[in-house]
Amino acid sequence: MEMFSSLLCREHFVVTASPAPGQVLKGGVDKITVIWGLNQTLPAGTDSAYKTVKVKLCYAPVSQADRGWRKTKDSMKKDKTCPYKIVDRPYNSANKTSQSVEWTVKRDVPTATYFVRVYAFDADENEVAYGQTTDAHKTTTLIQVEAISGRHKTMDICSIFFSAFSVLSLAGFFYIEKRKGKRSQ
Amino acid sequence: MEVEGQATQPPKFALPVDSENKATVFRLFSVAAPHMRAFHLSWVSFFACFVSTFAAPPLLPIIRDNLNLTASDIGNAGVASVSGAVFARVAMGTACDLFGPRLASASLILLTAPAVYFTSIASSSTSFLLVRFFTGFSLSTFVSTQFWMSSMFSAPVVGTANGVAGGWGNLGGGATQLIMPLVFALILNIGAVKFTAWRIAFFIPALFQTLSAFAVLIFGKDLPDGNFRRLQKAGDKTKDKVSNVFFHGITNYRGWILALTYGYCFGVELTIDNIVAEYFYDRFDLKLHTAGLIAASFGLANIVSRPAGGVLSDVVAKRFGMRGRLWALWIVQTLGGVFCIILGRVGSLGASIVVMIVFSIFVQAACGLTFGVVPFVSRRSLGLISGMTGGGGNVGAVLTQLIFFKGSKYSKETGIMYMGVMIICCTLPICLIYFPQWGGMFCGPSSKSATEEDYYLSEWTSEEKEKGLHLASLKFADNSRRERGRKEDSETKPVDETPSTHV
Repeated sequence: MEMFSSLLCREHFVVTASPAPGQVLKGGVDKITVIWGLNQTLPAGTDSAYKTVKVKLCYAPVSQADRGWRKTKDSMKKDKTCPYKIVDRPYNSANKTSQSVEWTVKRDVPTATYFVRVYAFDADENEVAYGQTTDAHKTTTLIQVEAISGRHKTMDICSIFFSAFSVLSLAGFFYIEKRKGKRSQ
Repeated sequence: MEVEGQATQPPKFALPVDSENKATVFRLFSVAAPHMRAFHLSWVSFFACFVSTFAAPPLLPIIRDNLNLTASDIGNAGVASVSGAVFARVAMGTACDLFGPRLASASLILLTAPAVYFTSIASSSTSFLLVRFFTGFSLSTFVSTQFWMSSMFSAPVVGTANGVAGGWGNLGGGATQLIMPLVFALILNIGAVKFTAWRIAFFIPALFQTLSAFAVLIFGKDLPDGNFRRLQKAGDKTKDKVSNVFFHGITNYRGWILALTYGYCFGVELTIDNIVAEYFYDRFDLKLHTAGLIAASFGLANIVSRPAGGVLSDVVAKRFGMRGRLWALWIVQTLGGVFCIILGRVGSLGASIVVMIVFSIFVQAACGLTFGVVPFVSRRSLGLISGMTGGGGNVGAVLTQLIFFKGSKYSKETGIMYMGVMIICCTLPICLIYFPQWGGMFCGPSSKSATEEDYYLSEWTSEEKEKGLHLASLKFADNSRRERGRKEDSETKPVDETPSTHV
């Protein structure tokens, strides 16, 4: 499917994720377990075209506000909502009801609010069905991630040292200039 | 009253010089002290400041995720990066008049280096804004560059010297869009994670900045005859008062007009430096280093375009004098506005790149042309006028970013188009610049008796003239007679002029 809107009637998966409400996941440290399964009320054979499944971490609207580079677009090619891949595996028709994956939140995942979405693909790599941990408005059961800062103590020390060095060496130069000026008089 | 230059043997110079010991030729590949050495020191240190000030934009796609920035945060930081220099440039101009460009620029560069080091440890949108704000102060070294060149090079080549020094310094804004993603990728390869790699990358511009300041202090000289302090102590250079320098600068309306128009060539250049990488990255879905490469080509055009503006200014001045300089400036800058409008309207990647490069050439040439005019506006307050013009450039950058590129009001393409319209409008005031001794765009010189001496000596009172404080201005007036253009060359000797009143 080229447009996400055409997938809306095909929310075939039920997806849940492990974090409890209010829990904040730390980047690089904490794990998230995603469990998904085909909706049991669907008629048999609905999933006959599914070949692969991708599970992705997606931005919730609150983290997309005033950030055009994370915008949700209907065209799947241009959509920037779900940049982080949790897992990509072949669709297992033997075990439809309970697939799971455990994933450590990567260190380049930014601090934001997320939900998890599962896409099913057919043999031509087209999205044919989906499921997500949150409701249609993407406001419930959201996941908080707190990223690493990227800073290190060594870096802090170097910054302070070189800054002080710059200022002090300027003072040193001024002192030398003054002495030279006095001498030439 | 001692005669100048009697304290020491008159020094010999590698380049031919005029009566003020300013070089009358510009030899790019020479490093001869003091003239060409000053040129190379000033453009390299200015280049370093540009690299630092615009080091963040190419890495914004990473930084915005690490610091959780919104589009508004990014816009505010962009405005902050160019607003510090508005007043710093004016202050720098005055500092040059009083302490000399060598000390003034090196001090500023070393005092702003900490802001670049601290960028590595920024942790929020507030700290990011603050480091960009203070780093941006370093762009006021532009003023010391132009002042230094105007002190070292004579009228026939001052436009060229100013243009090349300014252009090659501005190059830093383009080079950084290439350098930073490259350094980032290298550090990533060594094994750091994204959110650490960009931080380490910032040490490169910071160290470069620090080292260039040392070079200026160790190898540079303020004037062909030596440094300000030693010359002042020996009585070879007079020390002027801040209040006088200030007064004669701000009461000269030409300085204000040039400040406005410079905001719409240089200010636009700064704005583009801040937004273009993200523009290409987001609009055309490019990779980080590809967007950086394209963004870089805008700033890299400076290697020839701004110098070409300076050269053009000197070339038209040979034939048409100051009037030619003004016309050339108006035409080139207006065309820059036209191409800016076109840039905002094209939709394909290829067309955008081509139009952007043409636009960059015109906009940067206009910057070079502006500083073909600035050295002639005032002699006493040269630094302050340079500072006002330079500061005006930054005001233009602040305004255009606030109006068109803050938050999500206009798409970037629409903002660019409107910015082009504003360029055309704000370039019109050049028509109002008038020199009694040379004329303006639409009028010739006021009368046969209006002279360069009248214009430049009107900045000194009779008491000051009695003390002989005006002698440098007198020399300059004589040397600036070339600005009449070729037609007037035969009638250059003013015999006994009745001093006419001037604006």
